[in-house]
Amino acid sequence: MKKLKGLAIAAMLSTTATGAFAQDPLDIVFTVHSGASNTFWQAVQKGYEDACGKIGATCQMVYLQTDGSIPEQVANMEAALARSPDALITSIVDNTAFDEVIQRARDAGVIVIAANVDDLEGAAGNARQAFVGQGFKPAGYGLARAQWANMPAEGPIHVLVGVSGPGQNWSETRALGVTTFLDEMIAANPDRQITYEKIDSGLDLAIVADRVGAYLSARPETNAYFDTGFWHAGVAGVLRDRGIEAGKVLLAGFDLVPVVLDEMEAGYIQVQVDQQPYMQGFMPAMMVYQTKMVGLAPVDINTGEALVYPKDVSAIRELSEKGLR
Amino acid sequence: MRRLFKLSLQKPELASALLLLLLVIVFQVRSDNVFLSTNNIRGILGILPETALVAVGVTLLMICGEFDLSVGSVFALMPMTMAVLVVGGWPFWLAVLAGLGLCALIGFLNGWITIRFDIPSFITTLGMLFMARSLTVVISGGFPPRIKPGEVPSWLFVGFVDEGGLVRASVLWFAGIAILISLLLSRTNFGNWVRATGGFPPAASAMGIATGKVKIACFMICSVLAGFAGMIQSLRLNSFLPSIGEGMELQAVASAVIGGTSLFGGVGSVLGGVIGATLIRVIDNGMVLSQIDANWFKFAIGALTIFAVVGNAWLRRKGRAMKVETDK
Repeated sequence: MKKLKGLAIAAMLSTTATGAFAQDPLDIVFTVHSGASNTFWQAVQKGYEDACGKIGATCQMVYLQTDGSIPEQVANMEAALARSPDALITSIVDNTAFDEVIQRARDAGVIVIAANVDDLEGAAGNARQAFVGQGFKPAGYGLARAQWANMPAEGPIHVLVGVSGPGQNWSETRALGVTTFLDEMIAANPDRQITYEKIDSGLDLAIVADRVGAYLSARPETNAYFDTGFWHAGVAGVLRDRGIEAGKVLLAGFDLVPVVLDEMEAGYIQVQVDQQPYMQGFMPAMMVYQTKMVGLAPVDINTGEALVYPKDVSAIRELSEKGLR
Repeated sequence: MRRLFKLSLQKPELASALLLLLLVIVFQVRSDNVFLSTNNIRGILGILPETALVAVGVTLLMICGEFDLSVGSVFALMPMTMAVLVVGGWPFWLAVLAGLGLCALIGFLNGWITIRFDIPSFITTLGMLFMARSLTVVISGGFPPRIKPGEVPSWLFVGFVDEGGLVRASVLWFAGIAILISLLLSRTNFGNWVRATGGFPPAASAMGIATGKVKIACFMICSVLAGFAGMIQSLRLNSFLPSIGEGMELQAVASAVIGGTSLFGGVGSVLGGVIGATLIRVIDNGMVLSQIDANWFKFAIGALTIFAVVGNAWLRRKGRAMKVETDK
């Protein structure tokens, strides 16, 4: 009997010690602008679920059936709000389409945090409380600046910029970062012929390889290709097939997947930006917890414009294969 | 001679073949002769067998009077299944067989559900499109498995077969399979059953053709070809991503229609499907080469689809209206 009493007291104490969320777990919904088959988002989801596990929250990640469909994403947000969650995390891929629904969520007392992609005007353009993600333009700018060090020191330079998703904030803004840097180089080197061109490169390794391969056939003087995603890994295969040695046409882009790491090791990709997708899932959920439980306001977190070079690959590969980077 | 001309005009793939020829000439001129250069042909021959194999399967199924919208998802599911099994320690060939077996099962389910419950294949395969894509993500855990170069005999499917590094083994696989399916359609009873089933099912049934079984067989062939094509692409790029093949279903249907396959079944040819797939690749590639604003890609493919179908119908009408002397 004594034993039983002791167990009951211990159970009561442990319930009290684990805090309020044990009885009333936080309800968080994460709506994104992508389909589930995009590898990048699986790393975000892993971070999100890990954080949810730590704070004992009830969490749901909602993907789209049609990649990039803004109406579908808004509908998902509406559906999520109908059950009055504690927090809504979302990617804001359009500057106006999400304004009304986010404002309504805030008015209803729901914590709203943007992740991965933000309104181009930031906090001024949207009622979200914080943004956790990459500054796309600085990331594109930084990538171009890093790759510039590998460009020929003399003679003309021609660069191709592949816009993976024309019209989508993340892709257009990264491309803008790259071209902003190139424009500065053009202005700074009036005696040098520096040119660039943008194409709709696509969101598929095989298509990007074919399109950029065709472009390189038409403009063999091209020195470098920048992709706004990771699909330039397919271009490395084209260069290899043509017997073009690594480094002759410089390749750079965003995010780390195994095939990119392979091509970095082979020398075909010289530099890559890592935006730490795991962190983009983990930190918003933790911020919801601290806002709700401690009363701290959510803050912007720049998950990075970290540049990754071939020398870093071996250290990163293990984390990448686990979906942590 | 006139009779031959009349027969040619009535060929369903004629309009698209003429258009293909015209576009090749236009792009060759506009690109300062780069279009037919070795490097560019190598690029086209890399991706074409993959998209054309899917188009061949869809064409066969459309001739049989059905659609398959799940081919893009099956295109991703097969290589992902294979890669996950190989990474899990399965022998390569067993993993390939398991992947193809899964494709055949999906094809069977597509056909069986369509026939058993008498619902449009458009709906059945639309459902399968989502299910197969979801399975692809689930079995990989969302993260692409990594097969190191040289770990599997990729050369057998995608290695270059000539010294100049122009033609890959995938071209030979594609050519062999396309010829086989073409012969199946034109030289065997099965081919006659397919056309009869697609052309006028009640008459085919009345003739004793097991139309349900014929359709299920076509669904299975279509799925297996899509999966095989996906495996070739993944081996070529040495990357097993769950997102490959998205949107491929509509491109495959467009290839078949551009090549003269009737949306109502019974009419079409494997050659037409191949020409349709080639046309789409040529336009995509040629527009980049010609440095035309790439935002016009989809417009061009849409316009081409309409043009080819209208052209085919017009040529067929002309052919039918043409009078020739009959043998006495």
